[in-house]
Amino acid sequence: MSIRWMVAAAMVSAAVAAPAHADSIKLGVIQPLTGSVAYNGTSFVNGAKLAAEEINAKGGVLGKKVDLDIEDGECKPDKSVSAAEKLIQKDQVPVLLGAFCSSATLAIMPVAQQAHVPLVTGVSSSPALTEKGNTWFFRATETDALLAKGFAKILHDDLKLTRLAYLGVNDDFGRGAVDEFEKAMTAMGVKTVLTDYFEHGTTDYYTLLTRGRAAHPDGIFVAAETQDGSILVKQVKELGINTKVFGVGSWATADFMKLAGDAANGIYAAVPYAATMPNARNKTFVAAYQQHYKEYPGKYSAAGYNVVNIVAEAIARAKAARPDAIRAALEKIDYQGVNGAFRFTDKHQAYGFDEVLVKLENGQPVIVATTTVEKP
Amino acid sequence: MLDLALQFTVNGLVVGAFYALSALGLTLILGLMEVVNFAHGEFYMMGGIIAYYLTGVLGLDFFASLAIVVLVMGAFGWVVDRLLIRPLRSKDTLSTALVTIGLSIFLVNTFLLLAGTAPHKVATPFPTAPLLLGPVVINETRLFAVAVAAVAILGTHLLIHRTRLGGAMRATFQNKEAAALVGIDVERIYGFTFALGTTMAAVSGALLGSIYVAQPTVGGLVSLKAFVVVILGGMGSFAGAVIGGLILGVAESLWGGFVSSGYQDVIGFAFVILLLLVRPYGLFHIRSERV
Repeated sequence: MSIRWMVAAAMVSAAVAAPAHADSIKLGVIQPLTGSVAYNGTSFVNGAKLAAEEINAKGGVLGKKVDLDIEDGECKPDKSVSAAEKLIQKDQVPVLLGAFCSSATLAIMPVAQQAHVPLVTGVSSSPALTEKGNTWFFRATETDALLAKGFAKILHDDLKLTRLAYLGVNDDFGRGAVDEFEKAMTAMGVKTVLTDYFEHGTTDYYTLLTRGRAAHPDGIFVAAETQDGSILVKQVKELGINTKVFGVGSWATADFMKLAGDAANGIYAAVPYAATMPNARNKTFVAAYQQHYKEYPGKYSAAGYNVVNIVAEAIARAKAARPDAIRAALEKIDYQGVNGAFRFTDKHQAYGFDEVLVKLENGQPVIVATTTVEKP
Repeated sequence: MLDLALQFTVNGLVVGAFYALSALGLTLILGLMEVVNFAHGEFYMMGGIIAYYLTGVLGLDFFASLAIVVLVMGAFGWVVDRLLIRPLRSKDTLSTALVTIGLSIFLVNTFLLLAGTAPHKVATPFPTAPLLLGPVVINETRLFAVAVAAVAILGTHLLIHRTRLGGAMRATFQNKEAAALVGIDVERIYGFTFALGTTMAAVSGALLGSIYVAQPTVGGLVSLKAFVVVILGGMGSFAGAVIGGLILGVAESLWGGFVSSGYQDVIGFAFVILLLLVRPYGLFHIRSERV
């Protein structure tokens, strides 16, 4: 085949591919739909789908329907990279939403940068991500550092903790959260008696907790997602450990409480979102979510909902679904989410939204304290 | 310090009993039938999910559910052998291994579709309150699960060594042609062995679903650990699977307790590498005498 034919063939295939963009705007979504955090990834997608439906019911963006193009990244760096390559090169999406785990997001950031496609995460909280100087990456959620800064004082003053054991899942999220909380709590004079980690999908925590019990803490800090966290707190009760337990991850959710059962009672969770947040925007969201999925939205459902709305608003402001225009609009965004306002700093870290400390009581996250994430 | 070591050892023995139970099923299928079964973890997963449906959705009694899991998964194992493994019996092990990889992917995704991604709890009548035995903490659900595991292991041992069926099994796996010559229905023995292995995986899945959670995606790690135990103990060695399971459980627990639980899974695989270098046929493998 001569060069001329190849060029012609490329033009024809480009022309064939082009009409697909005409009637809808595709948003590329990479979330774990299988694997040990599949459940949380599905919550994100549920929130995102609800947002897209609402936007489309109101006539879409720029007169076009919003269409979610969802890929399974399995929370793994390699799978997430192939998903990103597929979305960018084959489906030609103008913007990416994802990934879930910080390690997976870290892997797709250079892909997005190289292709000049903005990437917005609503979940990955490892502080390092926004320090990479990647101008195509945005984080529409808290970092562990911001969460720790907001809550350390409350934990110290209200719960009167003096000796803490830190347990976290062995990845960027768990290690990041443990590091930041330990730093913030140590600055307040709280003693660290144990720091240890466990793998995603661990089922037996007796050994870890036996170590924890032997260190005699008066509080146990846990960084874990729904599945790991719920099994862990159940085993805390089984071992008869009566210290206060507080955690970060998706703890203030109906499913966490269902899985942990009675063991969930009295546990504290520092979260950027709880279904019981009292603002009007959240109440409408919770009602719509319940009608759709017959359950209360959790932290990740809210994240999916927020991120799709943020991106849609950016496209509307940009008046074009082009990657560079979307990035420029994202930098100036001022979005009212279900948990307060979202704006981005120069490093593309979101701020202005609320975070809450909740106590789980009889299947409900009761809000103990609220703080707003200040501009860092 | 001694109390701590005691607690770690008990934790390890409990986990080891579960490893042993799920590895026994694999050692039957891998060691005797020479089928590299990558769907073993999925049989375990199915046991857990079915037990969740029976107890959580249909509201059946835990013990009745366990009995139903045994029947359903025994039948399922027999059907899998009849439809997928039997046609490939005369082919090399690679063909059956590939089929079981396909089966594993098919089962995970079917159950993701049917049961969703959320983890589920298998309801038990036992209280979750701690039970103190001196300085050691344990609870009733775990004691019960260990007891069932012990009964299942002992039962299988007796079945293989004390019954006519067991005799036929041993004969078949020592020399298939000779067994067929003396009138043993070899195909039936293969089918039964596969069903037995499947059932053991499913029972351990149902028991552990009551202690941990049942979820469609747990299979991979279970398969991996079962392979570790089987290699540790020696392929097809019954005592090897039991002792291998206990060794792995206790080693993981002590390592996790005194060194770091972050790298707990390293220990099993380090054992396997070491063992393959030093005793490539496993701790308890006697090459001429299987079962």
